[in-house]
Amino acid sequence: MSVAPVIHVVDDDHSLRTSLLRLLGASGFETREYVSTGDFLLNPAPDRHGCVLLDVCMPGPSGLELQSALARQQAPLPIIFLTGHADVSSSVSAMKAGAVDFLTKPVEPEVLMDAISRALERDRLARAARAETQQLHARFSALSDREREVFNQIVAGKLNKQIAHELGIAERTLKAKRAHVMLKLKAGSVADLGKFAEQLRRDQFTQTMREPSQMHARPQASAP
Amino acid sequence: MTLLPYIVNDLRVPLARLLAGALVVALASSACAAGEQGAGGASGKHLLVLFSNNRLLPANVEADRGIRSKLQGLQPDAEISAEFLDYPRFTGEDYIRTLSAYLREKYRERPPQVVVVAGQDAFAFLMDNRRHLFPAAPVVHIAASAAQIEAAAPLPADVVGEPLNIDFRGTVELALRHHAQARHVVVVTGASAFDRAYEAQFRRDAARMGERASFEFLAGLSTQDVLARLAALDRGSVVFTPGFFQDREGRSYFPREAVSIMTKASGAPVYGPFETLIGAGVVGGSMVNFFDMGQEAAEAASAIMVGAEPASLTPPPRAPAQAQLDWREARRWQVPPHLVSRDTLVRFKEPTFWEAHRREALAATGVFALQALLISGLLVERQRRRRTEIALKNNLFQLAHASRRAIAGELTGSIAHEINQPLGAILSNAVAADLMLESGSCTREELREILQDIRRDNMRASEVIRRLRALLQNKELEHAPFDVNEAISDAAHVLRAEVQRRQAQLVVLPAPAPLVVAGDHIQIQQVVINLVLNAMDATATLPPERRAVVVQAASVQGGVDVSVADRGAGVPPAKLEQIFDSFFTTKSAGIGLGLSIARTLVESHHGRIWVENGPQEGAIFHVFLPWPAGAGDSARGT
Repeated sequence: MSVAPVIHVVDDDHSLRTSLLRLLGASGFETREYVSTGDFLLNPAPDRHGCVLLDVCMPGPSGLELQSALARQQAPLPIIFLTGHADVSSSVSAMKAGAVDFLTKPVEPEVLMDAISRALERDRLARAARAETQQLHARFSALSDREREVFNQIVAGKLNKQIAHELGIAERTLKAKRAHVMLKLKAGSVADLGKFAEQLRRDQFTQTMREPSQMHARPQASAP
Repeated sequence: MTLLPYIVNDLRVPLARLLAGALVVALASSACAAGEQGAGGASGKHLLVLFSNNRLLPANVEADRGIRSKLQGLQPDAEISAEFLDYPRFTGEDYIRTLSAYLREKYRERPPQVVVVAGQDAFAFLMDNRRHLFPAAPVVHIAASAAQIEAAAPLPADVVGEPLNIDFRGTVELALRHHAQARHVVVVTGASAFDRAYEAQFRRDAARMGERASFEFLAGLSTQDVLARLAALDRGSVVFTPGFFQDREGRSYFPREAVSIMTKASGAPVYGPFETLIGAGVVGGSMVNFFDMGQEAAEAASAIMVGAEPASLTPPPRAPAQAQLDWREARRWQVPPHLVSRDTLVRFKEPTFWEAHRREALAATGVFALQALLISGLLVERQRRRRTEIALKNNLFQLAHASRRAIAGELTGSIAHEINQPLGAILSNAVAADLMLESGSCTREELREILQDIRRDNMRASEVIRRLRALLQNKELEHAPFDVNEAISDAAHVLRAEVQRRQAQLVVLPAPAPLVVAGDHIQIQQVVINLVLNAMDATATLPPERRAVVVQAASVQGGVDVSVADRGAGVPPAKLEQIFDSFFTTKSAGIGLGLSIARTLVESHHGRIWVENGPQEGAIFHVFLPWPAGAGDSARGT
């Protein structure tokens, strides 16, 4: 994390927004301001480490609506809600939809900073996870077709003799391919291969969830 | 007939007079035949009454009344003439001559059939002048004293009547009964012939009364001596006097005048036999009733008219003297009321209210009681109504206030938002400034800017609180001029955050000029808030672009129109009226008092509230508020 995290402040109230920007700036954060949810959507944030401070109640689409819109994105930023008046229903729905916190103005700066650091930690973890998955995908895509078949058979828990028989190759050839797969995927053991497989499957699933239109054509994770 | 006197005056020749007489007869008979003429003219029944004195003298009025009432009953066709000789105002030979000439001329063509003389002066006048005036007419006299009649005796056969008998005995007995301690009777008479005749009678009468009392006669003394003697009397005495005509010095009096002087001086109560003395200070007496006398005279006259021989008439029964008492004098002389006999005519006694107006009093008391009942009923009712009015007013006030609290409750979220927003900004700014100072990274300008922002946010928060307090405070109803434009913009301020929370839009279009009406600014603001909240409720489920509410104020004929228009589904035509009723609601939440309260508030400003549907969509609520009374067009401003 060589670059400073960016805090996105979305609030229609000029004076509150300015004061938050001052506070965050003085605390060493880089900040960006948006006067409405639409402003935020029209000016996509660069894919940088950070989080969103989001006002619930604004003219036009509300903060909650922005949250659900952002949730469909590839790499959603963690959201901290700020509200002038916390009502139960909006706080519940915000938290259910994955908000880091739901804070009522005026917010104690310590509380805000604590929430921001949790949000940034979550973003950091999410970024790390995403990076790992991406690497995995890259490695996986480097496998030849035959190697992928071998990978699928291995993670399905089959013995070398069975795999060789099914693929119609010698057991020795299989062993060599298996070593290649392990090497390409940077796996230390068969257990690592199982973990990767699980990771890929989960990723495939969340991808599908994000794009509901593809629900019916959900590809089988076991047969990519 | 009216021309007749002139004709008579002009035709002095006897022949002409004869002709005129014939003419009168002819006229009279023709008139009789035609049935148009007064009955007296035809029948010739003509009674002339000569009164001694003025026509207004009570005795004369009474006697006249007696004569007329009686004669009209007995001889409905008789004509009655009355002459008042007006003694003693006019006296002397010239007067008598003129008077007799006048009467002679006046009654020449219509001579009376019978003449009644009332009082001694009339009697004396007629006796002296009868042969020039009405020689043929029989005379009936009344109210002439027995002494006078005696003096004139013997009377002609066609002169009859009952002399006025002075009831000496009755009067003295009355006096002695009224004054139980009195044993001494002082009799005062004068020096003239008449007076001497009275004296003779009284001495005879006194002698017949025996030992009842001791009598002292002050007869024919000088007025001075009489008065001195009377002044020396005490309550052991009573005074009897008919008055006198002349004293020893020859000074003339009218009897009443003499009595008046005596009663003023006397130390003892004075009694007299004439009704005319009542009022001159006498306590009372056994007095003759002039009405009765008049009736008796009329009876005699009537008999003569129908042909009776005057001499054959038995003198009518003597009018009984009537015991009379002047209540004012009786009280002055302390006559005990229980000693006043029932048949005594008490004059000038203010009858007690109960005696005089028993029936009226009962009726009036009843009316008063009813009225009092009614009034107290009305008062109670009025008080009750007033109390109810006050209670109602209080209730209205409380209700309006409760309604504002309900509105505030509804707005809690947005109001909290509005206050917390600046508070949050203040806090962040303060902490930011702190951090900046710590790091030493900030300039003075930056700090000043921060402080300015803090101040502005503080003002903003307190402004929200001020508006909210204004809306919520339970202060007295105001009745002051205010600008409707300000009321709607205040309402818009209170609603700002709520509108945003509901993702609606509120457009406020004030009028270009101030719209000053009289009333309570807060209540009108409340009405506008209520209508806007209703409008937003009505459009809550519609797409955001239809959640727009337009509030507009405009000057119209006679006042101000505030309209609140929405883009909802409108109001079903059947419910346009009902919508302002209590407990009418189409909302799932709410008890349906909002519009009802709005109407009550507007009507308490003498305004009107109604709703119509927009030309394309939505409902438009109108609030009309009249210009303040007397403000005229100037209130609209320029």
